[in-house]
Amino acid sequence: MAIAIQNEPNAQGQPSSSAVSLNAVPILPAEFYLEHFLSEGAKAKKHNPIRFLFKYESTPGLISLLAGKPNPRTFPMSSVSLTCADPWDHDKELSLTVDPDLLSQGLQYSVESGIPAFKDWLVGLQEREHGRSMEDEGWKIAVGTGSQDMLSKAFAAIVGPGDVVLIERPTYPGAITALQGLGAIMVDVQTNEEGLRPEHLQSIMENWPSDRPKPKALYTVPYGGNPAGTTIPERRRKEILALARKYNFLIIEDDPYYHLYYGEQERPASYFSLEKQLASATEPVGRVVRLDSLSKILSAGMRIGTATGPASIIEVIDRHTSSANSQTATLTQAMALTIFQNWGYDGFKAHTKFVSAFYREKRNQLENALRKHLTGLADWVPPCAGMFIWLKLHLNTAATSSSAQNDPEHGDSNELIRTKALEKGILLLPGTVCFSSGEVTPYVRMSFSLVDEAQMNEAMRRLREVILEARGGA
Amino acid sequence: MSLSTADTQPSAEQTINATSKANDAARLPGARTHYSDFFSDIVKRMKPSPIHSLLHLEHHIPKPISLLAGKPNPAMFPFAGSMSWTSRDPHNPEKIETLTMDEDLLKLGLNYSETPGLLQMRQFLEEMQEDEHGRLKEEEGWRVTVGPGSQDLISKAVTALLNPGDSMLVESPTYAGIMPMFRQLQPEFICIPSDAHGLLTDKLREVLKGWPSDKPRPKLIYTIPYGSNPSGFSATLERRTELLKLAYEHNFLILEDDPYYNLYYGSSPRYPSYFSLEKSLGLLDTAPDTPKDLLRVNTGGRVIRFDSFSKVLSAGLRLGFVTGPAPVLDAIDKQTSAASLEPSTLTQTIALTILRSWGREGYKAHTTNVAAFYRSKRDTCERLLAQYLGKDGLATWDTPEAGMFMWFKLHLHPGMDVESDTEDFIRRKAVEKGVLALPGSMFLPEGGKSAYVRLSFSVVPENVLEEAMRRLRALVIEARGEA
Ligand SMILES: Cc1ncc(COP(=O)(O)O)c(C=O)c1O
Ligand SMILES: Cc1ncc(COP(=O)(O)O)c(C=O)c1O
Repeated sequence: MAIAIQNEPNAQGQPSSSAVSLNAVPILPAEFYLEHFLSEGAKAKKHNPIRFLFKYESTPGLISLLAGKPNPRTFPMSSVSLTCADPWDHDKELSLTVDPDLLSQGLQYSVESGIPAFKDWLVGLQEREHGRSMEDEGWKIAVGTGSQDMLSKAFAAIVGPGDVVLIERPTYPGAITALQGLGAIMVDVQTNEEGLRPEHLQSIMENWPSDRPKPKALYTVPYGGNPAGTTIPERRRKEILALARKYNFLIIEDDPYYHLYYGEQERPASYFSLEKQLASATEPVGRVVRLDSLSKILSAGMRIGTATGPASIIEVIDRHTSSANSQTATLTQAMALTIFQNWGYDGFKAHTKFVSAFYREKRNQLENALRKHLTGLADWVPPCAGMFIWLKLHLNTAATSSSAQNDPEHGDSNELIRTKALEKGILLLPGTVCFSSGEVTPYVRMSFSLVDEAQMNEAMRRLREVILEARGGA
Repeated sequence: MSLSTADTQPSAEQTINATSKANDAARLPGARTHYSDFFSDIVKRMKPSPIHSLLHLEHHIPKPISLLAGKPNPAMFPFAGSMSWTSRDPHNPEKIETLTMDEDLLKLGLNYSETPGLLQMRQFLEEMQEDEHGRLKEEEGWRVTVGPGSQDLISKAVTALLNPGDSMLVESPTYAGIMPMFRQLQPEFICIPSDAHGLLTDKLREVLKGWPSDKPRPKLIYTIPYGSNPSGFSATLERRTELLKLAYEHNFLILEDDPYYNLYYGSSPRYPSYFSLEKSLGLLDTAPDTPKDLLRVNTGGRVIRFDSFSKVLSAGLRLGFVTGPAPVLDAIDKQTSAASLEPSTLTQTIALTILRSWGREGYKAHTTNVAAFYRSKRDTCERLLAQYLGKDGLATWDTPEAGMFMWFKLHLHPGMDVESDTEDFIRRKAVEKGVLALPGSMFLPEGGKSAYVRLSFSVVPENVLEEAMRRLRALVIEARGEA
């Protein structure tokens, strides 16, 4: 056997995909990420040295005394069964049993990027949804403990202290916390009812001071944004992608609400899909890191999310996982795969249609309640994806004409929620937590996923009182 | 007016700060007088999850209608309300019983829960820790946080504590799988050698005595007290006691990584954990006004203990838990809220269903069975090792009394005054002959050569292990001939 076990080189010396691709889709070469995008921490990142050797264990004839894998006979569980809904008829139950081979993988340590069969299924899903082919396009997928895990690791792969990230204003608070931890500098890009504003992004980049480090990435939630509820139209996505190419930054597409799209129009294509549709010899693919989540459509408690993107980035994420937490739970992956294999891709789509229709109905209910109780007292844009309405409270009658999004004169929803709203028995998310600078804002985020119609009406009636009182007192 | 959402409730840390402020003047400059003095810049600049800090308002009385949290509607989760599995009866391992998860628990399990883990799970674990280690949660200021494997929690604990350049004590040899994570934080490693009785505390005492007065003292020690990975050794009571005393004298924290605690199969009764000894030795009761001992009884002590279900329930569940002072656990939780939100709730409810059906008794019975299983594995392994490598002095070792590893020294250069180096032997020669094991050098945090080899005996069947030993024997003999 002419093999020897090598210590693993780190990212510095390991171009992962060939620089020149022979097929039609040009790919950014691995060196490009090394030069422009990988954080210092990512470059230094080493694989867990024991896990790095796992791959040798399957060499025929080799006896492995390597890994500290527990003996599966000491695991008490065997034969896992679950019932799940028939995707075409949600009143019907299917009884499923996790395949014994799959279960044995589900109880044991596995490779850090996820159970191979599960990843294969997910790759198939990405190929169908986004028209991207796994072969020859230089991307990979990694399974994580929720998309939050993949999000924070994708950030860590790219940004270190002092690196700049463009974010939406407002944005998902969980991204702000993760970026704070890395010591990143956040630069806000304005949004309106159609999401991120490309012309503002353009002007930021045009006027970027030459002595400041250039932004390495744009972080965006393209469907049913958290908190603003907006879904960015395809036209804007294309403009933003063009800017990413022109100014050389990556797009981190955090898309947990992708399957919760319930708009009337045909759905816009993802950035991951667009970068291929719009690829050319001078505009290769490899700029988009896409994050998906099973939290809203299968179970949040399973904690399964994925990162899909350039091999150079995903490999850094894998290295990070291997030493930081080894891997994501394999049992939940085995259970999810059992369900997906039974459903097939069409069943999966049927299920997500059912889910998005449910949230559309919920949105309608809340909008009805809003119109009934808060017309003239608040503004909002009806979302066409996700589970949030971003509401601007008119707390100060004198100031409502100004168009500025936040202005202390418009009032402070944070103060209000913790005092008057709570007294009246209604709890909302104060908008301030969705701004990187934590500024004063009259906005609140309302989540309509859990409350029923009667509660929504009562809540909006109470909110009306709160606003009226605040105005009276102001 | 402050906009910080975190300042509505004083954190445990703030409370401690307040109580110890009065004594501050008496301290040496740079001394660490409360937990926050141990914290890294990373956790200091992270704000607690803003949503999390509002969630407690949902329990305000009267209960408000909440549109706060972005939890999905559970009706959209396709699990139609039942999950079951078969499981071995711990009192009678031949008997297989069917467990069905309680419907309400399944509902909880499918949705988001809390950053430190599902409340019911934490309560179960906290009670277990109280009994197992003779500690009292309420009085002593510690608690439990659940994580996706203990590795995750260890990573977060060191991230919470170490800045680049900080000194960290580490037992050598140590668990190679965690070293890249430690290195990423760029601490200065002070490696303390160990033998079959655990860490050499005399060496540690010397190191601490000779510590330059102008250099910040080490913040922590990382140690694996039972069935160490890689050596399989367990620290004796005497060494444990010594280490604890040193930790209190020199004001550092003990990270007790104990995934093999339940895999102890030695013939004598087991030694208490550091977490337990810290209390039974009376260290928690040190007079509050002694400057060196500010981390006193009501703040949870100096031991941060890591347990894992990987070796006793399933590695695929990814469940571990950390037990320790509340402020340190808060700093871990803060990272979790940005890093992965929380560990899987579903795997927690699965484990909880098993643990509840067994009860604490059943759990003990199960872990006793598991330990006995590994003991017999060890016996087989040691017999073969003696037969093929021991008898001609090709290898020597001490018998492990916990865990799943055999750590043995190869004698590749008989009669010569040189230490063997197993690096090339294992990585190249052994692999060529079809045996995959790990060279000892991999487990040395300080780097350098090692004459040792780590072998894992947990999964390999006896006849295969025998074949491996036969091959290794031939190789050692061949290598000696060359030398
Ligand atoms: C925009 C956004 N990103 C990421 C997440 C994290 O989701 P997961 O449960 O997949 O970690 C959420 C969850 O609420 C979210 O709203
Ligand atoms: C010493 C030591 N610590 C921690 C771990 C990680 O265990 P877990 O599966 O709980 O993350 C291992 C696993 O092999 C180990 O040997």
